[in-house]
Amino acid sequence: MKPKVIILRGTATNCDIETFNSFRYVGAEPELVHINQLLAGGKKALDYDIMAFPGGFSYGDDISAGKIYAVKMAKLSKDFEKFIKGGRPVIGICNGFQILVKTGFLPENRANKQVSTLYTNDCGHFIAKWARLRVNKASPCIFTKGLPDEIDLPIAHGEGKFIVEDKGELAAITGRNLHALTYAENPNGSMLGIAGITNPAGTCFGLMPHPERNFFAWQNPDRPAAAREAEAAGYQFFKNAVDYVG
Amino acid sequence: MNPMEKFNSLNAKELAALDKACGWSLNAEELAEAQRQFRRMGRQPARGELETIAQTWSEHCKHKTFSGPVAFRDGAKTKKYRNLFKETIVKATRTLNRKWCLSVFTDNAGIVEFGKGGKWGLAFKAETHNHPCAVEPYGGAETGVGGVIRDILGVGLGAKPVLNTDTFCFGRLDGKKRLPKNALSPERVMRGVVEGVRDYGNRIGIPTAAGGIYFDDGYLLNPLVYVGCAGLIPVDKIDKKVIPGDLIVSIGGRTGRDGIHGATFSSANIDEETSASAVQIGHAVNEKKALDVLMRARDLGLYNAVTDCGAGGFSSAIGELGSETGARVRLEKALLKDTRIEPWEIWVSESQERMILSVPKGKLKKLAAILDAENCEYCVLGEFPGDGRLLVTHGEERVVDLPMAFLHGGVPNFEKAASRRRVKISAPAPARPTAGYGRALKSLLAHPNVCSRHSVITQYDHEVQGGTVGKPLQGRYGDGPGDAAVIWPQAATLDLHDFSGFAVSHGFNPAIGRIDPYQMALQSIDEAVRNLLAAGADVSRTAILDNFCAASPRDPEVMGDLVLAAEGCHDAAMAYGAPFISGKDSFYNQSKDADGREYPIPLSLLISATAPVEDVRRALTINFKEAGNPVYLAGATAPGMGGSVYNELRDTGNNAVAPLDMKAAVKLYAGLARAIKAGCVAAAHDVSQGGLAVTLSEMAFSGGFGADIDLAPARRGLTGTELLFGESPARLVLEVAKGREAEFLRLVKGLPVAEIGYVKEEPLLSVSDGSERFFTEDIFALKDCWKRELI
Repeated sequence: MKPKVIILRGTATNCDIETFNSFRYVGAEPELVHINQLLAGGKKALDYDIMAFPGGFSYGDDISAGKIYAVKMAKLSKDFEKFIKGGRPVIGICNGFQILVKTGFLPENRANKQVSTLYTNDCGHFIAKWARLRVNKASPCIFTKGLPDEIDLPIAHGEGKFIVEDKGELAAITGRNLHALTYAENPNGSMLGIAGITNPAGTCFGLMPHPERNFFAWQNPDRPAAAREAEAAGYQFFKNAVDYVG
Repeated sequence: MNPMEKFNSLNAKELAALDKACGWSLNAEELAEAQRQFRRMGRQPARGELETIAQTWSEHCKHKTFSGPVAFRDGAKTKKYRNLFKETIVKATRTLNRKWCLSVFTDNAGIVEFGKGGKWGLAFKAETHNHPCAVEPYGGAETGVGGVIRDILGVGLGAKPVLNTDTFCFGRLDGKKRLPKNALSPERVMRGVVEGVRDYGNRIGIPTAAGGIYFDDGYLLNPLVYVGCAGLIPVDKIDKKVIPGDLIVSIGGRTGRDGIHGATFSSANIDEETSASAVQIGHAVNEKKALDVLMRARDLGLYNAVTDCGAGGFSSAIGELGSETGARVRLEKALLKDTRIEPWEIWVSESQERMILSVPKGKLKKLAAILDAENCEYCVLGEFPGDGRLLVTHGEERVVDLPMAFLHGGVPNFEKAASRRRVKISAPAPARPTAGYGRALKSLLAHPNVCSRHSVITQYDHEVQGGTVGKPLQGRYGDGPGDAAVIWPQAATLDLHDFSGFAVSHGFNPAIGRIDPYQMALQSIDEAVRNLLAAGADVSRTAILDNFCAASPRDPEVMGDLVLAAEGCHDAAMAYGAPFISGKDSFYNQSKDADGREYPIPLSLLISATAPVEDVRRALTINFKEAGNPVYLAGATAPGMGGSVYNELRDTGNNAVAPLDMKAAVKLYAGLARAIKAGCVAAAHDVSQGGLAVTLSEMAFSGGFGADIDLAPARRGLTGTELLFGESPARLVLEVAKGREAEFLRLVKGLPVAEIGYVKEEPLLSVSDGSERFFTEDIFALKDCWKRELI
């Protein structure tokens, strides 16, 4: 049976279709579901095996990135909590990561309190470019398993500076290797150059870079004249999720 | 008292005063024609009727200059055109009659076939949004982007946008000219425009991945902002037809007092009295909602026709859809942003993010469910009755009551005078740069029209939708300047196993136009085609868009330039077999400064081109790939420094434009296309602004390789300056894969293709011509000159 993936969207969730395509390519059965459908009760989160929050500018990123979407999710927080605590894979990419942080699901804590944020980049504006990332091999993250020490993925965000409230929170992340991805060259001023973090179980993962945009070799800006080998680093993130539940 | 109540008895002077007071931008003949029509009907017009006429007859909506009669005087000879546009640009398309053109010049965008199997069409359109950007750069740019996206949403039954393009012209940032009191500094205009494009394009989730920036003091008071959009549409969704009885449904944004008179304002000079309320206020998220709704509703067949609210707002959109059926509109049903709005203002407001659908009564409920699910607002404004009458009311008030035929048939047109501008050409041999070739190259690389655009490009999400295979920034360090965007529209086709894509590029060169508008048109088309070829596209299937921007058409020399450029468009389209599929023009890009001096822009023709890429995995990039690979120069170098960037830096006194031999170019490109398809070519880059030395530098530092180049085979009596920095058209530099040389040479046999050196590991670019060493420069030092922060 193909694992069922719920790809959650709302107004101006812009990366939903390429995320959908990526999951389908690795053998899952993805479905695009508007948050309104969950709120109206027509769809249930717990009917799915994997959950994805794609990139975009949900609700214009008004107030702050991902905030309105997170507020809409609050009414359904029990279902989301059950999904995550039950160990089903959840990935939040870019705006999806911002949503997971604003809901308090990442970094994981007992009260689902927001203990960190993704703040405006140090340069003060949106940046879109390719970034080299270090993969933390000691991380429990299931999505980054099997990746090489360093990978390239594009970033595209205005609010990607990962910061936490206090040193204790940071130590809680690094102490358990929850920082699964860090930037080789910090593009936005994130603490310790953190690009992505996971929950201790390794199943709920948020990252600012876009794995779905380096899914195939020919999506790389530095590519040979004819890219023959197909899958690139981003492919592994999706494949890992499907293998984990399969 | 309402001044319209005396309209029919006003004299010419009073009509002109009324026109100015109301901001219609109608000329004396048009006002007289309107008066004649209402006298014939035996009644006075309502304000809303005159507003509708002003919108419908505006230059912006009707393109009456380009589509009108012109008498072109060239010495003793005069050539007459009845419709300049039809007799040049449209004529080429009709004569070529390419079967892969699915829709040309009729809808909101042109459509060509896309991919294999005949399932998809590619819609492509470019627009300008100049006047708004001069007054309010941020808002003007935002709504420009929003507007052209709506053209793609409103073509056929709606295409899915997959690429945005933008090309800007600003005054020089380092200009010495004193700014007039009422002008914004070019830096402020640029900042505002870039931020507007960024905030709108990024929010709506369409990659901005092609375009350019051009600096020239001709644009000091009238910046140009060209915005383009490409989208995919299923071929069975191209036809639309309003059925009598359909409901008129407006979806997306609400109507407010922003953007009153945008269409007519674009024909007026910008002066101190110009009001910023003529500029609309954008809201990208509303447009994204409309986009999401349209794509679902289209596939479910919930409406019979769609178009966008652009210039003229409801009056144009509903007028256009109902041109055969008529329309019955109840303005009190419109959702408003602002209740302090007059009924006629609702009718002509250009508030953004509104699309008009023609919906069968029985399908409204289903459509409403989708609209509600996506939180997209809508209102039912009335219906298309089928009686050919346009009746617009607001409660008891009759805002417009006219036969449709009057609006769409009535526009009077008058012959424009055009004459050839004489430019004195001199062609002395350009001297050697006094400080040496290496120094000259470095100042060229740092020139604002050559240097890196990374600080602008990286603010745009150029990779959203995951399909930007040919990137604006490419190569080993992700910062080399790509020639064309190559798009793999997976977000529209949903098929990761189909590798069909398309490339989009531009050609633009007003500096040549100042000397020779005809050559400018030819060379802009050549440059666009060449850029497509360099990205690995199938240029035998190139489709192009023309976007003309010009100063006042009342000046016969402005019209003369336009005639020559339009003839150039025709001739190049024929030579390259590349039909125009859509186009737009913008006139009156001319303003007075505080001292009353006129600042007209140079004639500015943006060519946007697209061609299929059969397999995106094989799309080419510009950077050198491997040490030891041979480097070739394709195309013969002709003498002449006219229009070159080098001339701007150090005037050589030589203003002869190197001519384009189109026949030779077409033959050359066909040969190169064979070699590219066979996989012999590892990298390709066109020779354009800055000349050959700039091209070689960019290929070298984008790949992190040096090269040893000997130009002796290309010299043919040219001076070093012409050879290195001349901008002779129809040339490319190619890196050929080692071991594929023999095959490459066989495929380009008989063509002007010469080996000029090889790629090397050592990061030095050495260029000589055998006997004379021109320069040896460190590629990273060259890159430092080039990689400037524009913003």
